[in-house]
Formats: sequence, structure tokens, C-alpha cells
Amino acid sequence: MKLTIERSTLLSALGHVQNVVERRNTIPILSNVLMTAADGLLAFTATDLDLAILERAPVSIGQGGATTTPAHTLYDIVRKLPEGAQVELALTKDQSRLTLTAGRSSFTLPVLPREDFPMMPDDDLPHRFKVSAEDLRRLVDKTRFAISTEETRYYLNGIYLHAAKSNGIAMLRAVATDGHRLAQVESPLPEGAAGMPGVIIPRKAIAELRRLIDQADGAIEVSLSDTRIRFGFGNTVLTSKLIDGTFPDYQRVIPTDNDKVLEVDRKRFKDAVDRVSTISTEKSRSIKLSLGHDKLQLSANSPDSGSASEELDVTFPGDTIEIGFNSRYLMDIADQVDGDVAALAFSDAVSPTVIRDLADERALYVLMPMRV
Amino acid sequence: MAIRRLPEGTVNRIAAGEVIERPASAVKELVENALDAGATRIDVQIGGAGRDLIAVTDDGHGMDRGDLLLAIERHATSKLPDDDLLQIDSFGFRGEALPSIAAVSRLSITTRASGATEAWSLAVDAGRVDEPRPAAHGQGTRVEVRDLFYATPARLKFLKTDRHESSLIADTLKRLAMAHAGVSLTLIEDGRRVFTFPAQPGALLDGRRARLAEILGRAVADNALAIDLERDGVRLSGFAGLPTLNRANSLAQYLFVNGRPVKDRLLVGALRAAYHDLIAHNRHPVVALFLDLPADMVDVNVHPAKAEVRFRDTSLVRGLIVGGLRHALERAANRASTSIADQALAALQPGLPPRLAFGSFPEVRSPIRLNEPLAEWQSPIAGTPFVPGARVAEDAPVPEDIQHPLGAAVGQLHDTYVVAQSDRGIVIVDQHAAHERLVYERMKRQLADRGVARQILLIPEVVELAPEEVQRLAARAPELAELGLSLEAFGPGAVVVREAPALLGDTDLQGLVRDLADDLAAFEEGLSLRDRLDAVCSTMACHGSVRAGRRLTAAEMNALLREMERTPHSGQCNHGRPTYVELGLGDIERLFGRR
Repeated sequence: MKLTIERSTLLSALGHVQNVVERRNTIPILSNVLMTAADGLLAFTATDLDLAILERAPVSIGQGGATTTPAHTLYDIVRKLPEGAQVELALTKDQSRLTLTAGRSSFTLPVLPREDFPMMPDDDLPHRFKVSAEDLRRLVDKTRFAISTEETRYYLNGIYLHAAKSNGIAMLRAVATDGHRLAQVESPLPEGAAGMPGVIIPRKAIAELRRLIDQADGAIEVSLSDTRIRFGFGNTVLTSKLIDGTFPDYQRVIPTDNDKVLEVDRKRFKDAVDRVSTISTEKSRSIKLSLGHDKLQLSANSPDSGSASEELDVTFPGDTIEIGFNSRYLMDIADQVDGDVAALAFSDAVSPTVIRDLADERALYVLMPMRV
Repeated sequence: MAIRRLPEGTVNRIAAGEVIERPASAVKELVENALDAGATRIDVQIGGAGRDLIAVTDDGHGMDRGDLLLAIERHATSKLPDDDLLQIDSFGFRGEALPSIAAVSRLSITTRASGATEAWSLAVDAGRVDEPRPAAHGQGTRVEVRDLFYATPARLKFLKTDRHESSLIADTLKRLAMAHAGVSLTLIEDGRRVFTFPAQPGALLDGRRARLAEILGRAVADNALAIDLERDGVRLSGFAGLPTLNRANSLAQYLFVNGRPVKDRLLVGALRAAYHDLIAHNRHPVVALFLDLPADMVDVNVHPAKAEVRFRDTSLVRGLIVGGLRHALERAANRASTSIADQALAALQPGLPPRLAFGSFPEVRSPIRLNEPLAEWQSPIAGTPFVPGARVAEDAPVPEDIQHPLGAAVGQLHDTYVVAQSDRGIVIVDQHAAHERLVYERMKRQLADRGVARQILLIPEVVELAPEEVQRLAARAPELAELGLSLEAFGPGAVVVREAPALLGDTDLQGLVRDLADDLAAFEEGLSLRDRLDAVCSTMACHGSVRAGRRLTAAEMNALLREMERTPHSGQCNHGRPTYVELGLGDIERLFGRR
């Protein structure tokens, strides 16, 4: 293998793939990136066995071939090369080393045989559809905060993506929950997605996907089976295993008859929650909402650091209610509301509260109160 | 195959297998018989780790000829006057011990009843009884067991090494000796005297304390708190070691119910709960506790060797132990055990590498800054050589401060240790450990005052368990709810968790509930939940406290000392390590060879 490639092209490709490579590995070859040169393209592949990324970049090939070399080291070298450098990569004659030359710098890197590199099956996945980068970004961004980090409930460690009917309209729906709160966001169901199974996309895949969406424009090709999902962004393809578990029947916990609806300016609400919660020092950061007619009082107290309260003008036709929440959870949800007004629908102090963005009827959040 | 009755000899050998498990259990049965006979002096001789010979001689009230013959019959006893199993005041009552021993060994009994003029001797060989013969013997009984287990070779094979078996015998005797301070007890092994505990005169508690000191050593007795309290006819007495006096195993926990040594999980659980968060998980406190309660409140007839008992009112007993110990430990509040000072002194003995000697602390950096006021580096203790590496408090100690138990701060060493002078000696405080404990105690107080905030679960967590585990958890649900975990039975084989402590965040509830079920089974105490809450508090306390390496002013140091005096349990950190060491003037004088 012998080829020449633009430094910036190489850097951007490695930048994508190196995120997938874990810093510490018990299987040495998983620290490596597989590079395959053929037909004027250099293909980079990296994997952690659950997640694989493939990226292609144009190069001028002197001699085709393939090898694997440590991904992080290679990335660090290329990052430090001067801009505009031409990088030459070549395997030594005995195929035991990779040499990298750029201007007057040269490096020799260890390689491992490409035959040993674990490949994710490259077969066709039965369900395929296209979704716009903007829709996918929204589905991920507005739900990922609620993903559980508790690994014993592995089936909550991801975003549940499935086709669903909402008011009779077919939707692509993303749901995440950690058992305390839940986020549900929809976008119109793309063509071809109608028969898709419900799948749970793991947290790490979500993080990579999110990074790639930022650099994508236009449509992203999604294809999936019961066990794998693949996102195609032109030259980059991300494939992930899915979480093998059953997502809980979340619709049962979303109340439909919470009739006490509070409407509040999102920004002022969030800032007030933030201010008042300064006083609650304990880790649970509880805050109390006291509602009266068109009035909301937020309060917190701690024997150690005193007490705080703040009143807000709101629209609330109902009776008085007192309800406690984890202030961090409230702010997380307030952050997801894009419109000016957030609507909180209550039932009572121990039942789930539904929070909506008045400007976005396709997003919904459920939050469970605290007993304080 | 037809069913047939087993011959008497076989029945006795089977029974012997349960009661007489090893030489130590034979010793226990015989010594308890002697105690039941009102002996004041008991001599135990063993040979070949009890295999060849066990001889127990007492000065109790003895037996006459008729009793002697009955004694080796099964289910013959003098100890159940009205056949009432609810009123068991003696150690034995089943009449099983002697026949069991007789069934598996060569036994001989020589006895003279009090007031009688003649003594009788009886020999039994693996259950075959000879005629009683007149003999010569003082008042009391001597029981000799030779070739124990020769009739059950299988049991003989399963005995451990001689050393192990004799240490078990010694341990058994020590436990009995603790409970019976008024009885003189001697153990002679292969003609060599292993120990003699002379009868301790004096009131029950004093006598026991003296006996305890003899058995466990001075260090334990000096660092144990006397416990004596009574509630609803149940009396708890004995000694509880300070948390800083701890061991790697639970062997140094001696528990007695009505003078009977027991290993009961309820009691062990109560101990763990009482010492909870004063001691690290893998360490065990040293205690000797005596629980005395009316015979009808406890059932001792649940275990062949009576090592376990059952209480009629378990919550009363548990409450008494946890409450009593907790209270005593609270009063001892900030005492750290003197054995720590002893260890520190041992490390300071001359002859060790010179870098450990006084006056030559390794110099980390020179703290002397010439532009600081003179007092900053002036030594306040007359005659003490200036110690490089030490920071000296700005002000000389105020005389009144010295009178405080932890004294007045005179300086800080290595920006980590506060040195204080009290009227009794020198106190060295680990500032991080001490402050961490103070912050931790404050957080715990807050938690107790306000209750644990509970996050209601959107998706209740169903945990599948065995039916008895479900029952156990459900029975303790109100208590768990107070700690923030609300759960209820969900069918016979599962519990559902509806609310969890908000403090724990997104946590592994399955694991927590399973651990709780295990705790309840093992100790009848749900310790795991409290442990996890405390672990969170402890981590937060660690982050919220003064670190080692932070310089403190004299005012800060004194404030730390005063708060330590006020705060309960400030003598040890969350892991049972001491937060301070006190060196008495006497100790220091000893160090310099003045004493």
C-alpha cells in the first residue's frame, strides 16, 4: 500500500473514526483503524464491536492495499502536521510497519494484519428510509437528556425509535426515560419506515450520530433490522448494534387527563428555578411549586443555607396545588422547550406532570414529582 | 425394605452427632453441668486435644447412687422440675448431654453428693453401663471422658488438627468464664496449665469487668464502655468496645443470653446496626454483651447445641441493643481508643530509624517567613526545641482553652495535623478526617430532621424475589419508607418499588432491593439502604471538608477542636480510623525514660 492524501482530508476522516475507538482496549486491534486503499478511495474503518464507522476519502493511490494502525496515535500526528501538508502513507516491504511522511517529518507506526480486524456484517438491512438531518437532530437532541445511565436497566440506556400514530397521523417517534422523567418527540414518518420494528439505539451510538449530524446536510439514509441500525451520510456510514431488550410500555405512564394547566414564560421560569434552587444544597436539589390563581411561587429551603422564594405571573385557572420537583429535572426539560411558553399540566402532588412546548405540539415531557 | 426401630445404641450415637459435634462441645456440656450443679471451682483437663481425655472436676452438689444411674439415661434430667419448657433456668434441660457423650466414648463419673458420706463411681463404655462402685472422692463430681468418638470413627476422621481443636476448647471455656465471673476456672492441657481464672468477687458488673480484662487483655477492658440498662424486664449489660478498637473478624464478639454463650443472627445484626457508620464494612467491633431476660421470654430449645435462641419480642431486644449501644457510644462521643496512642508511642520508641525521632521531622519546606510577626514562629511551649516544618499558632494558648478535653491548638504540622496542648497531654488531630466526620454528622442530622426526600418513580421497578423475601421486605416497608424507599408486595413473588431516595439519583434499585432482602435474612436489619445513603453523604462530606494540605489559622484550629468536642462520634472517621491521637503526659514521660 502506498498513497498520498491531503492533510485536511485525512484529519477530517480520522476525526470522525477516532471517536469510536476506545482509549483502552483489551483486544489490541480494536485500538487500530483499518485503512483500505482501492479505486482512488481510502476507506477508514473503526469499531468497538458494538459500533462501527466507515468513512471514505479521495486519495491518489500509488499502490492499493490495506492495513491497520493505532487510530489515536495516527490522529494525533496528523493533527500536529502543518496545514496544507501532503501526507504520504506507505507500508514497508515486509508489511511490518507503516511509514508516514509529510515534508521533512517522518514516522513509523506498528501495524496489525487487516485479516484480524473485526468487521460488522455488511449485509442489507431490510427497513430503509430517509430522514432529514434537521428532523433527526431534533429527535435526538430533545430526548437524549432523559436516557438512563444506570446500567442494570440496560433497556433504558438508549433512545427508543419507532413508528407510531399520533392523532391518526403516522409519526416517527423517539422516546427516552430514566424512570424519573420521560421525553417523547415526533416527526412525520418518512416513506418506507412504516413497517419498521421499534429499536433502542444505545447511548454511545447516539453520541456519534449527533456529532455526524452536525456535519451533514440534506437527507440521512437510515436502514435497520431487529439487531442493527445504520446511518448513511454520503461518505460516512455509522453502524450500531441495538440494545437487545424490551422498552417499557411508556404510553401507560403518560397521563391524558391532567386538567390543571399552567402556562408560563419558559425563560423566566427556568431562570427562577435556577435562582431558587441555589439554596437547596442537598444532592436531590428539591424545589417546591405552589400554585394559586394566575400565580406561581417557587420555593426552596435548607436548614444549612436558608430559604428562597420567587413569584411568577402565570396563566393558571385552577385551584391551589403544592408540588415538589427535582430542580435539575425541571431545568433539563425547560431547556428543551424552544417556544416562549411552556405548559405544565398537573393532576396532583404525587402523579406525573406533563410538560409541553406550546410552539411544538410534537414534543412532550413527563416528570414525576418528589415527596419532600 | 421393612421399616424397623433403630436399636437404642444407634439412636444415642445419632443424637450424639447433633449434640456432641467435637471435643469442644463435650467440654461445653460438661462444664455447663458443673455450673448447673452450683460449682464455684471447675478444673478442666484435656489430653490429645480432647480426643484422648476430657476430665471436668467440680465442687458442686454431686449425685447419689440412684441419680448417678439415671444421669446416663437419655432424657433423664434433674433440671426440669415441672416439665415446663417455658421456664428454663438452667443450662441443660434435655437430659441428652451425658448419654450422648457416653454413647461415643469411655465415660466414667465419680461423685459425692453434698452431705453424703460415700462417693460412687460409674463407668460406661460406648453406651454399655457397668455397676456403680463405691469410690473415694471429695464433694462434687469428676467426669472423665476417654477416647471420645472411638465408637463413631467417621466423626473422628473429620476432626481438625489438634491445635485447632484445643483452641476451640479454650475459646469455649473463655466464653463460659466471661459469663460466670464468680466461678474459678482452670484449663490444663497435657499436664500444662493453659489458664486459670480465679473467682472474681464483687458485684456482677465489676466482677465481669475484671474477668473480661483477664480474658481479653487490658487494652480491651480499658477501651470498653460499660453497658447496663433495663427495659421491660430485659437487662442488657456488659461491655462495648470503642469503634476505633476493631478487628478483622467477628471472633471477638461475645454474646450471652441468660449466661449462655450464643451466636445469634438477630444479635449480630443489632450489633452491626449499632456500630453502623462508625466502623468500616469489613471491620468488626469487640463486645461482650450479656442479655438477661425472664425465661419465658426466650426459647433456648431451638438448636441442639443451644448456640441459637429465639426471642418472644425480637423488636424489644433489637431496640434495646441498638439503642443501648448507640447511646453509650454517643456518650463516649469523641473518645478514640488508647491503644491508638500506644501504637503511636511504639512507633516513637528510640532505636527506630532516626528519621522517625522527634526533632528531626523531614523538612518539606521552610515555613519561616521573616516578614511575619514574631509570634508566627515562636514556640509557645517552653523548652520544646523548635521543630522545622511546623507552623505555630499566632497566639500562645489561652489558659482556659487548655482545660478543654482536646486542649488548645499550638500549631499545625505539614499543613495536615493540628497539634494541641491539653492539661492532660498532647493531642494530634488529622484535620481532614476530623472535619470530614463533622460535616458528615451534620448532614446526617439534617437528613434525620427533614426526612429523606423521595423521588416518585414514573416507571415503578418490579423486583422478583423469593416469597419469603417478599414477606420480609413488606413487613419492614414502613421503616424503609422513612429512609425514602417505598415498596410493596406485588404478588407473592415480587415487590414493586414506587418511590426511591432522591439522594441516590438514577440508581440500581434491583440490586438495592436484593441486598436489602439479603440483609433482612441475615441480620433482620435493612442495612444496605442506610449504607448507601450514608455513602452518598460520606462522599459529599469528603468533598465539603477541609483537605490535608490546607493551612489553618489558630482560630480555625481551635474552632475545629471545640466542634469535635461537641459532635458525637467525632473520635473516628467514617471508616473507623481515629481522627485524633491523645498522648498523655505519662506516656510522654515514659517515652523519655522518666518513668
